[in-house]
Amino acid sequence: MVGLPYDCLANPLGAVRSTFDKAMSSDSSTAALDGKDWGASEVFRQFLFDDGGLSQVPLLNSSTMKWVQPNTLVRFRGMIQDMLGNEFYVGAYKDGDKWITNKFADASHDPSNASSDMRIWERQLLYCTPVPGQNSWVECTPDAMRNPYISAISPLREKRQREDEAIKSDVDMVEPGYAIEDSPNLKKMRENGVAFEPFNLQKVVTEGSASNSSTPHVERDSVSCLVKIYDSPESDLKLNEVFEFVGIFTFDPDLTIPIDDKEVMDDFCEDELLCLPPSKVPRLHCVVHRKLGASDLVSSPHLELTTPVIKEIREALIGHLTAILGHDRLAAEYILLHLLSRVHARVDEVAVGKLSLNLTCFNKENMSVLGNNLKLVIGSLMPFTECLPLTVDYLNSVTLTPKKDYITNRLVSGLLQLAEGSHLTIDETPLQSGTLNSGGLENAQVLRSMMESQKVHYDFTYYKMEMPADVQFLILSEGKSNILPADLVLPFHPSSVDSASGVDGEMLKAWRWYLATMKSLPHSIDPPLQKAVEDDLVAARQEDRSLSREDFSRWLTMGRLMSVSFGATSLSMEHWQMVKELERLRKIRFQGNL
Amino acid sequence: MNELDFKQDREIAKDFLINFADANGESKYIDILQDVANRKIKVVQIELEDLVNYKDLDEEFLRRVTENTRRYIGIFADAIDELLPEPTEVLPDDEADVFMTQRVVEGNDSAGASDPQKKMPPEIKRFYEVYVKASPKGRPFTIREVKASYIGQLVRISGIVTRCSDVKPLMQVAVYTCEECGFEIYQEVTARVFMPLFDCVSEQCKTNYAKGKLIPQLRASKFLKFQEAKIQELAEHVPKGHIPRSMTIHFRGELTRKVSPGDVVELSGIFLPIPYVGFRAMRAGLIADTYLEAMSVTHFKKKYEDYDLRGEEEEQIARLAEDGDIYNKLSRSLAPEIFGHEDIKKALLLLLVGAPHRKLKDGMKIRGDLHICLMGDPGVAKSQLLKHIINVAPRGVYTTGKGSSGVGLTAAVQKDPVTNEMILEGGALVLADMGICAIDEFDKMEESDRTAIHEVMEQQTVSIAKAGITTSLNARTAVLAAANPAWGRYDLRRSPAENINLPPALLSRFDLLWLILDRADMDTDLEMARHVLHVHQAKESPDLGFTPLEPSLLRAYISAARKLSPTVPRELEEYIASAYSSIRQEEAKSNAPHTYTTIRTLLSILRISAALARLRFSNDVAQSDVDEALRLMQMSKFSLYSDDRQRSGLDAISDIYSILRDEAARANKTDVSYAHALNWISRKGYSEAQLKECLEEYAALNVWQIHPNTFDIRFIDA
Repeated sequence: MVGLPYDCLANPLGAVRSTFDKAMSSDSSTAALDGKDWGASEVFRQFLFDDGGLSQVPLLNSSTMKWVQPNTLVRFRGMIQDMLGNEFYVGAYKDGDKWITNKFADASHDPSNASSDMRIWERQLLYCTPVPGQNSWVECTPDAMRNPYISAISPLREKRQREDEAIKSDVDMVEPGYAIEDSPNLKKMRENGVAFEPFNLQKVVTEGSASNSSTPHVERDSVSCLVKIYDSPESDLKLNEVFEFVGIFTFDPDLTIPIDDKEVMDDFCEDELLCLPPSKVPRLHCVVHRKLGASDLVSSPHLELTTPVIKEIREALIGHLTAILGHDRLAAEYILLHLLSRVHARVDEVAVGKLSLNLTCFNKENMSVLGNNLKLVIGSLMPFTECLPLTVDYLNSVTLTPKKDYITNRLVSGLLQLAEGSHLTIDETPLQSGTLNSGGLENAQVLRSMMESQKVHYDFTYYKMEMPADVQFLILSEGKSNILPADLVLPFHPSSVDSASGVDGEMLKAWRWYLATMKSLPHSIDPPLQKAVEDDLVAARQEDRSLSREDFSRWLTMGRLMSVSFGATSLSMEHWQMVKELERLRKIRFQGNL
Repeated sequence: MNELDFKQDREIAKDFLINFADANGESKYIDILQDVANRKIKVVQIELEDLVNYKDLDEEFLRRVTENTRRYIGIFADAIDELLPEPTEVLPDDEADVFMTQRVVEGNDSAGASDPQKKMPPEIKRFYEVYVKASPKGRPFTIREVKASYIGQLVRISGIVTRCSDVKPLMQVAVYTCEECGFEIYQEVTARVFMPLFDCVSEQCKTNYAKGKLIPQLRASKFLKFQEAKIQELAEHVPKGHIPRSMTIHFRGELTRKVSPGDVVELSGIFLPIPYVGFRAMRAGLIADTYLEAMSVTHFKKKYEDYDLRGEEEEQIARLAEDGDIYNKLSRSLAPEIFGHEDIKKALLLLLVGAPHRKLKDGMKIRGDLHICLMGDPGVAKSQLLKHIINVAPRGVYTTGKGSSGVGLTAAVQKDPVTNEMILEGGALVLADMGICAIDEFDKMEESDRTAIHEVMEQQTVSIAKAGITTSLNARTAVLAAANPAWGRYDLRRSPAENINLPPALLSRFDLLWLILDRADMDTDLEMARHVLHVHQAKESPDLGFTPLEPSLLRAYISAARKLSPTVPRELEEYIASAYSSIRQEEAKSNAPHTYTTIRTLLSILRISAALARLRFSNDVAQSDVDEALRLMQMSKFSLYSDDRQRSGLDAISDIYSILRDEAARANKTDVSYAHALNWISRKGYSEAQLKECLEEYAALNVWQIHPNTFDIRFIDA
């Protein structure tokens, strides 16, 4: 691309306009452009992907927001938290004889003399928040953003930038006074949470979840964003999906004028955008968006994908997990399978592929070391993790399901609005006897149903909307959890409580890559083995009448995960035998426990 | 489009209003206009459907009306102004009329009629409202489907009302009088906000440069009732993974106060942009907010009785009814993902259909709702069946016995925390009035709570005598219960009564008690293993071998069937009576009865037969209905009987033979037709294949002869 009359990065609107003019000159009817792209997005695609411009685009977060110029190209990574419907805007209007487009911009430059000759187009409004439970390592990809303007900006700015980074790297810092002023309930809850979990450094999930904010899991260095999507089929973008948006950042200080036409606008027809001031929620006119899968979030370790390499990584990871789990290798094997699980199909009411795990025999002593080590390890391996301390008070006070607020016309997020592939650890050890109120009962049921069917029912007051979820559940409890029946219950038998040694970064990277890649491998069962498995299942049921469909389903899931963990795409007899062996060992533990 | 065209269209509109004749040949709109003139009604609703059916239909005109509805409402209103007949009744003058008469008198001597702001706008004279109703044909839009291209057009959408504002007055015509010249000045208001006039614009004041001060006249101005509402997409219209969209609706005049939050409505209206004003305009730039100007409101009803069949549904139902296999087809479409259990599904279908309620002359009521109890081992998909039925039924409540107290099921008297008044709150059974109440874990209910159900199941009312309130609430609901046997699993070593462990008083109230046992059976295990494997492999359910009917169609068919009330013809009475007495005798013979046959059983047979007749869209119960009813009752205990039979050493074939021999002996005949034989044995729970096998086997022994074509049986007298 030589001799472009505009700079896609600094003046993207120029690119939009010049392509528009070009399109207009070749075909002068604007009606033809209704809901269509005239080649602008092609230009951006070429710039971003073919010419490698993507890495130059600054990533929008609270620190970059300070220096990113309005009307330039930025990147934003986030989860679609709410959909604000479609917005109608004047897409093109005639100024004199010339058509001028308003696409990818907030307002025209001169709205006063807009003629009546105009086309109304529509765009989708998406409210995107940082992914709940996103771990700090996710952002630090090797092609992490450097400020392209840094040389042009005063050194003072640069210094602040560095300070921001310093704060960013300080992961374990617990932020003081975090939005707890006005909610005594929350405060109490948080105290409980902290009291029971002194070692939970990674994250206290209680933050803001009971407050009425729509952005409960705000990370310190990321911002929510109002993304405007153009010419994209609705089915492309779904709630709770994680996307990377590249778009034009707009910030118009005129629009921040406080509005006091209250006497005109009775509170009924409140504009939902009023509660999203542009100063806090930047607008992004998206030109290109792409869905981020698990493997897009981790950096590839540049390893060759061969069976021995995979086996090696697997062995190392199992070894590490075993060490973390107090040398309980069986538990480590199960944890690995659990971490690799994902919902890969939904048949009727059954979510196929989920594998929730309940580790029992935790107590207050080993919980504080082993449990928290485990949480930390999972946090360092999985991109999105959340922990949830299950106590009676907590269940009674927290809002788990998202709820539609008709006053503000927004979806108020709940704790269970999680991105696809999130990992949720539920710590049942602090649970004591007490009385659940109706809210607590409902919360317990919500958790249970989410675990069983991987679906969350969002509350729309007049009806409930079923939203599919794909969340891995790990439950740590003293006895078998009856509130949350997991697919697998495994008594945990640690032999030592010494903390594990550290791991070097390269190793962690390889493991992350391994988990993300293996997770998305395809899988099949060849007909001969299918017969063998079938016979095995029937024989098992002849022996034990209490085996149910769920047990069969779990075994097949485990078979899949086992072969996937070795990088194989079809089930082999060896892996199937390993699953059976695991299940046998697990059964023995139960008998030993009784 | 210029003014001329509108004049022309006004003529078309006039022509339509005068000449339109409805199906009965009556001029519908002239009648309406007469009523309007007589001040009986305030609304002229022009139905687009009428325009379509109008004999001199101008396609172009129709298109213009749909695409520029707001303008054409004005045109129709102008046309009506011209056509409005004189009232045929004497009307008392109200305030507006007094003003009008005065204005007409004044108007005669005013010279400034050319001044647009002095000319009286037609709106102020009108005492009626004009609406255009969209054609009810076809599917209404969902909110999502209303795109920018529909702006200005008449659309029909469905949704649920989420918010409603208070009804407020909205100025339509502002009237001022001038201090200087005394003229009345009119200002039409088309938006929600307007800038009042301050200086007189009359010819007189202008020429005098008097700048006469205008005084607003509230009493003379015309106001409209105005209400704003928000509607949201229905859950079933939202694509997976999306958030329901909402839309603002404006109701004016007579359409206000028609909706409240929670209503499911179908609206026709004009999709319009709102011009922003003031700071908002600046802030919003060139973004347009939109709303729907409501033209008509229709509420959706959820009861079977109010179910309106749409055109295509009626056709489909007619086609289904012609198909002889409708009973099987419908029952298979219930919970298609649950494998097998065909007879249970049949029973559940009959539960949905129900029988007509009967009210005897002496005021006694006989319920028509069927009650079914599913009892069986854990893991036989009882709960799924329950939940599915609730989803299919237009009105259904699902509850578990464990989670609900007797009060929670029936009704509670509560003290309102605000007013301190006693209020009556209906429980699950009352909420399911005219619908279905599914109670899971029926066995886990407290004994005391269970007694509360007795009344509901037979009398279909809930009586309350508490805290000074004595009343009786209707609970005309079909109860569908699911229970586990007494020891969690069915214990074959114990008697059925011990296993079932529900009091006979309660059991007899169920028309069908279905026992589903999970048997150690290689075939079912293999079936299950295959199913699970298939699900994991193909990521879908195995092919069902048929396409299940849509729940909506199922609902429509059932509601159509429920409109009938079949009766038992006299000649069948004898047949039913003998069938009943034979069941009683059998029970008396057996030393461990599986059933409690009472007179209620007879009523059950009648109910099930009536429901079957309804399914056939027949007004008479046929003998086949009764036979099927008896067969279902038999099948419900089948898993037990087959066990008994094994114990008594009889195999199926010899059992069939003994049945046929007994029946033939009873009728004192040597000929048995194949159809009869099939009836008898199917009542006992055998299949046709088994019958055929039996026929062949015994024919080979020369016990009977089989007719080679009809398979009729003739016993060879020994």
